[in-house]
This record gives sequence, C-alpha cells and structure tokens, in this order.
Amino acid sequence: MRPELKFVDVISEQQRTQRRKQDLASFEHTHRAVITSVFPLTDMETLYRIQIIDPNERKRFSFIPGQFLMLELPGIGEAPFSISSSPSIHGEVELCIRKAGNLTNFLSKAGRGTIVGVRGPFGTGFPMEDMHGQNILLIAGGLGLVPLRSPIAYVQENRSHFKEVNIMYGTKTPEHLLFTYQYDVWSKDDINLNIIVEKADPSWKGSVGMITEILQDILSGRDNEFYHNTYAIVCGPPVMFKFVCNMLNRFHIPMQKMFVSLERRMHCGMGKCCRCNVGSTYTCLKGPVFDYWTVMNLKEAI
Amino acid sequence: MIFRVFEKKELKNLFEILAAHNKIVGPVEAGRDKHGEPVYAFSEVSDFNALRLGYTATKLPAKRYFLPFQENLSTYTVEDGEWQKSIDYNVSGPLIFFGLHSCDINALNKLDKVLLHSIYPMPYYAAKRKNMFIIGTDCAPQPFCFCRSMSSDTALHGFDMFITDLGTKYFVEILTDTAYNFLKHIRTEEPKEKDHILYMKTVSARNKKFTAQVDTTDLAKILDMEFQSDVWKHWGDICLSCGTCSNVCPTCYCYGVEETVDIDLKGAKKTKMLHSCNLIDFAEVAGGHNFRPERHSRLKYRYYHKHRGFVEAFEESLCVGCGRCGESCLAGINVPEVIASVRGGKSK
Amino acid sequence: MTREPETKTYLGIPLHRPKVAFFEFTSCEGCQLQMVNNESTLLDFLSLVEVVNFREAMTERSDDYEIAFVEGSITRDDEVLRLKQIRKNAKILVALGSCACFGGVNQLKNRLKNLNWVKKQVYGKHPIESGLVRALEEVVTVDLRIYGCPIKKEEVEKIVLHIALGKSVVIPKFPVCMECKANENICLFDLGEPCLGPITRAGCDSWCPNNKAGCWGCRGPAEDANVAYLKKIMKEKGFSEDTIIERLDCFGGFAHFSESNKQRTQRKKKS
Repeated sequence: MRPELKFVDVISEQQRTQRRKQDLASFEHTHRAVITSVFPLTDMETLYRIQIIDPNERKRFSFIPGQFLMLELPGIGEAPFSISSSPSIHGEVELCIRKAGNLTNFLSKAGRGTIVGVRGPFGTGFPMEDMHGQNILLIAGGLGLVPLRSPIAYVQENRSHFKEVNIMYGTKTPEHLLFTYQYDVWSKDDINLNIIVEKADPSWKGSVGMITEILQDILSGRDNEFYHNTYAIVCGPPVMFKFVCNMLNRFHIPMQKMFVSLERRMHCGMGKCCRCNVGSTYTCLKGPVFDYWTVMNLKEAI
Repeated sequence: MIFRVFEKKELKNLFEILAAHNKIVGPVEAGRDKHGEPVYAFSEVSDFNALRLGYTATKLPAKRYFLPFQENLSTYTVEDGEWQKSIDYNVSGPLIFFGLHSCDINALNKLDKVLLHSIYPMPYYAAKRKNMFIIGTDCAPQPFCFCRSMSSDTALHGFDMFITDLGTKYFVEILTDTAYNFLKHIRTEEPKEKDHILYMKTVSARNKKFTAQVDTTDLAKILDMEFQSDVWKHWGDICLSCGTCSNVCPTCYCYGVEETVDIDLKGAKKTKMLHSCNLIDFAEVAGGHNFRPERHSRLKYRYYHKHRGFVEAFEESLCVGCGRCGESCLAGINVPEVIASVRGGKSK
Repeated sequence: MTREPETKTYLGIPLHRPKVAFFEFTSCEGCQLQMVNNESTLLDFLSLVEVVNFREAMTERSDDYEIAFVEGSITRDDEVLRLKQIRKNAKILVALGSCACFGGVNQLKNRLKNLNWVKKQVYGKHPIESGLVRALEEVVTVDLRIYGCPIKKEEVEKIVLHIALGKSVVIPKFPVCMECKANENICLFDLGEPCLGPITRAGCDSWCPNNKAGCWGCRGPAEDANVAYLKKIMKEKGFSEDTIIERLDCFGGFAHFSESNKQRTQRKKKS
C-alpha cells in the first residue's frame, strides 16, 4: 500500500442537504429570503417582513421568542437582529431595524423584493411555557420593545395560559414610541398597557417620568401570592434593566424569574468568534436571553 | 497503544517515503536573531536535512495550517438583484506534520473541543484538522515553558505517532493505524525492557528541566474574585495592545468577519480574519459603543477567557503553557508573572 | 477617461457615482502615481467615479466635484488659498498620504529653528517661497484620511467603492504588529532593528517589515497607541534617544507624542 494520505472530506453529499446544529454544513448555511414588506416606524426605525424563499426551508424554520438571527447582504455585511414577530408563523419573520451601520444603511435603500440572507435562529429564548399559569410583566425601554414584541405576540395568542399581563413601555419622547398602531389590539387582548415618556411634547396626554415609576405603581400593595407567581421579561439598555430588576428584586420576585436580553457585537452567532463574550460567556450561545441571576454573575454585563 | 523502536537513520527513510507522496510541514530555521541564534518556524519542507527536529520552540505555532490568519468563509456571485453564495473550506489536501511538540498537539486538542466537538462545529477548521497527520516529537524545556503547570507537557491523544529521542534510537508511540501502516515502510522493532527504562529515564530527565511555573489552584475562582484588582491596571499600562500574544498563541481562535464587494461589482466575499481581544475594536458595536475601551480591560478579558471561561465550559484551561506570548511580548507581559500578581493581589 | 452613462447597481440598488478630483501640494506625487499604476482594476475603478480633475492623468479641468483627494503638505501662502478653495468646492475632502495627513517627510524641516537657512541649503539662490510645513488639517477640515507613504491603491479603491455603496470607510484601528505576525515575519526587534510596528496604524499589510525593514510610522499612530511605553522598551533594548526620535519624527504622525515637536503641537492648537 502506498504511504499516501487520502483526502478526508468532512461533509458527505448527503450531509450537505441536512441542516442540524451539529452538522458541519449548517455553519455557513444561509437561507435565501425575500423582503416582502417595508414599513417605516419612525425616522430611524423600519419594520421589515422577510420570508424564506425555499418552501421546505420555510416550513422548517421556527424560533422561540427572544432568539435572534443573522441577516446578511452579500458584500455589505452581516449582523444579528432580534426577531420581532410571532413565533407561530414559520419561515417568516419581522425585524425592526435602526439605521446604525453599513448593513442597516444599505438596507434602508432596499425595497420590497430584495433578496437577503438569513442564518439562524440563534441563541436562547424566553421560556414562555414555564410562565404558563403565572402573571407576566413585559417591560421595555426604548428599542427594547423590538425583542419584546415576540413574547407579546405569544402572550396574545395564548392569553388563556396567563394570569395578569402588564406591558410597561418607556421611551425618551412620544416620537420614539414604536408600534403605536398595535396598542389598541394589545389592550383588547386583556393586556394592561402602561406607557411613559421621559419628556412630553404638547400633544402628549400620558404619563411622564421613568419606567420604574409605573413599575412601582403596579407592584405596590400586591400580596405575596402575586410576587411569588410573577415572571418578568425586561428588554432595554443595561442601565434601564438594572434599575428595573433591582426594583423587582425589592418586591421579592425571584431573580430566576426575571429575564433580560443582552446585546453585543456578534460576527458568527455560533459561539466561535468570541466577539460577543461578556466576561467569558458567549452571549450568542448562553444568551441573548439570560435570567437576572446569571447576569448578576457575569462580569462586565451591567 | 502500540510502541516500537527504530534506529535513528530510519527516520530519514520514513521522511523520504512520506515526502514522495505527501506534503510535509515541519520545523525549519527561518533565520537568525541578533545573537546569532536560530529562529524556528513551521514551513512546508521536502528535504529531510532542512528539518530541525531538535528545535527549541517556534516563534509562531503551525496555526496558519489549521486556523489561517485570513480565509474566505464564502464568496458570492452578484448579478442585478440576484446573488448566489458558494462555500469553500479552503483545504488543498492532507498534510503531514513532522515534529510537533506536546504543547502544540494539546493546543489542537483544546481547539477541537470548541471548534469540532461543540454545538455548531466549524467546517473550515474541521476540514483542515481531519486532514492532518501528526508526528509528535519530544522537546527540550525552555526557560519560558510552563506546560507542566497546564498539564500539557505530554500528549495522550491528538496525534498519529509520537517519537522520543533515546540517543541512538527513536521510541515511537503509535496511535492510529495510518501511522502503523506508514511505519511498515521502515525497519522497526518491538521495544525491549531496556528501551522502556531508557524511555522513562529520558522523560524524567526532561521533566527536571522545567523551571517556569504557574499556580493554577482555584485559579478560575481567584480570577473572579480579583476582577476589580489593581494589578490589571498595572499590566494594562504597559500593554501595547498590538495583538501579538494572540497571533503567536496556538489556541487563540477569536476572529472578525468582513464582507467586501469586488470592485467590478460582480461578486463579493465574506472574509474571516483572526482578531485579538487586546485590539481596541474587539468589543466595539455598530454605532460606536465600545464595551472594553481600556487596555487593561481587554488584557484582563484575555486572561478570563483562557483561564476562567474555557475552564467553566470544558473543565480545562485554554492555555497550554507554551510561553510564546510572553516570549514575543515586547512589554514582557507573561502568563506566569500575570497570574502570580493576580494571586498576590498586588502588582509585581 | 470617458463618462459611462449607465448607472451601476449593486443588489438592485443604484449606486452613487461621485465626481472626484485629485490635487497635489508639496509632495512627490507618488500617491497619485499609485492610483494610475493600478492597471488591472483601473477601468472598474473609473466606472465607479467620474474623475473631473487629475493632472497626472488628464488635461481637462473642472471645479464641479464632490470628493477631493488631496496629496501633499502645505508650505506656501498660495497653497493655503488653493486648499481653502478646494474645501469650498468639495463635499468630502480626503487627505491622501502621509504628507497630507501629517506633513510627511516634509515636516522634518520644522524641527530646525532657522527655516531660511534650510531654504538656502536646499534651493540656493533660487527665489522660492517655502515656509513651515503644515498638514491639511492645520488649514482646513479634513473628512477622511488615507494613510501611508505611499498610500496603498487597494485602500483608495476600497474607500471609493465604499462611498459608492454608501458603506462607512473602515481603516484598521490596530497596529502594524497584527499584520506583521499574520505575515509570519521575524520580529524586527529580534533582529536588533528598531521598529514602530507596535504603535503604528495597520493597513499597509506590514509592507516594510515584510522586507526586513523596521516600521517608520508613515501611517501615524494606531488608536490607543502606547507610544510612551514603546519608547521605554526601545531604550531598554539599547536604542538611543536619537534613533527613537528620528523614527517618531520622520512622517509627522507622532507629533503629539514627540518632545521635539511640542512647539509644533502648540502651534496646531493656536490655529
């Protein structure tokens, strides 16, 4: 026998068509997807609906609220985005995108019909099923409503599984409010909606102040039964979820029942590039959704 | 494991037989430094006489053969609004590594854990790693080697065969049947009791030569406790943030991805470039916010990933103790001193 | 250089084809030469932009441009006026090369107290105006900088492509060491040579160290460059104060860090 090494092909033809997390071929696999709708929300944020083109891939593509995907435009860039739509729709997602970098700037020029690449979904999600039978506090600051919109949709669709549901949403000014057209529907689904802005304009009739003020109102004077059977999902900037979670903690809501979503720079989404590490934890694998106890134990998270 | 011994002159035969049919990478002399000492590097080698099996340590690991500094993850053809993606794992064929030290073999074993055996295995690495045939070789401990502290002074797996110089003979550990079959092409014999004794003596004599040490007892915990320690500030002040430590590290795998459009607009590329957590933009996000703007926070992060995060995930450190980072650091920042200072709770 | 009437698109999105102009002040014009050297990609490059002014390559002139690539440093009063006019015309003013970014090799003469003496040594009795050397940013606002002596044509192509695509222009923030190690060079310090690689902005693909020559810092400081500590290291390695200062002063990029250039820095602040 000739002492010659044989080339080892790490992916067989058959494997190339499979897409499981453990498969080598899944690593750079991109679903081709098409932008089916573009809807401006504010000056800076636009809501894109994106549908996976291949019918089989579309059927298989599902996610849980809180997960993110990597959106790619060849040559322009790739970046992580929280999925902002209902998990019950397969193969179609809504992403709310703020103009902040190359990809998002280019995307803002792209219209319906543009073909994009989608990888994922990646990361952890909110454990919605664990919350069944419990009260839910859905708390968002600023852009935090984007990842929160997916669990809100889940709660709407499964309203009977939950006891009291409160949405608390705070922004800098009324102009920054996102998804204003949906507020009525949320209320109709027996969800208490509380909105607060830091700075009002003349037309603003609602509350003015910090989000912790409405949280304080909602939590005060409840019984232990309420505190012990309440979950919280908190999405927003670190400084906001720190104050909110500290207040929840003062009312003895267990830290393991508070969930936050962290945002970091990501290049791969698959626990390889290390760019999203907080301390030494991969945000893309162990997160982006963490319970607050875990966040407290992460160095440099807040 | 199967053991054999063979006469030293047989090694050249083995090399030449293998070189006739395969590409071989091994330690060679890349130049001389200002003191006239040889500078070693891994390079493709076809002449046995160019091979330097008795090399001290290479400045850089053989990384470019399994984690190239830059490689394309995918390429695209673009026409009007349409695009197609194609993926190539960038491997030209099998390679024989002739003469890797235990530290470098253990480095591959550690990389395997995160790049091969974890969720989302990385095909670019897998394709290269699965096409490596490794001949390990014993080493002469250098003053900067602390592999014994990191338990990577011997390699138990991750190679095909491992040769130890017994003076007139080589003692060979055979781990794969590929290696076993290759060895059929040269004259080898069953080791006798005296060969075993000689092997043990050789190894124990080598082990006595290790000088540098790192106390890793409870290190993961201590690093957590000393997160706010002033010692990090001290090391941060002298750190050049140049990324050299990562580039010479056999286990640093962090990277960045850049997408570029071809100037003729007909194609695009997605390129992976190894990055270093010490570089200023490592934790910068779109919009400009930097999670680690200070030098010391980045340097600290490197130690946390190596000696804490990886331990948490895989029950072992991501450092093999090869000492290359300390040797290459112009500021003289080295693992034994940094860890000692953290344990001491004050700067050196 | 003819106009290409069709609008280029990428992924279905029409690209912006800017009108660009090239200008030179006190310099060797080597940076512009780099641009026209690039034969294999020159046509593609020219289809992305409309060049309206490029003395080294064409005779037509126009003042209607969006991007001005300006090479060279400013040494005379008439240059100041011309540069200010360019600034008025251009939406984006790009400093092209070390002279434009930092004064370049030209600014070495600023170290000498008697500039008249310098002029006499260089030009003899030939009547010429040549004063203090200034970088463009000491006279006008600079929007983008393309570093290097000379520039790398690939970098200019990339920047132009990015402007056409609306992508932000990314220049490495880290030092040359990163690229030098990736090129597997033997460290110049191991060879006993001084090198500014650890503090100089990358992007040149470690051009000089690849050829066993220590870095002279032509691209200026990397972001967060630890200049003070590299100086200390160089001293410990036995390099003289003069050797270190000579390197740091050579292209003017390290003026803020250099003792001998304090004067210059102060002047910068005044203007």
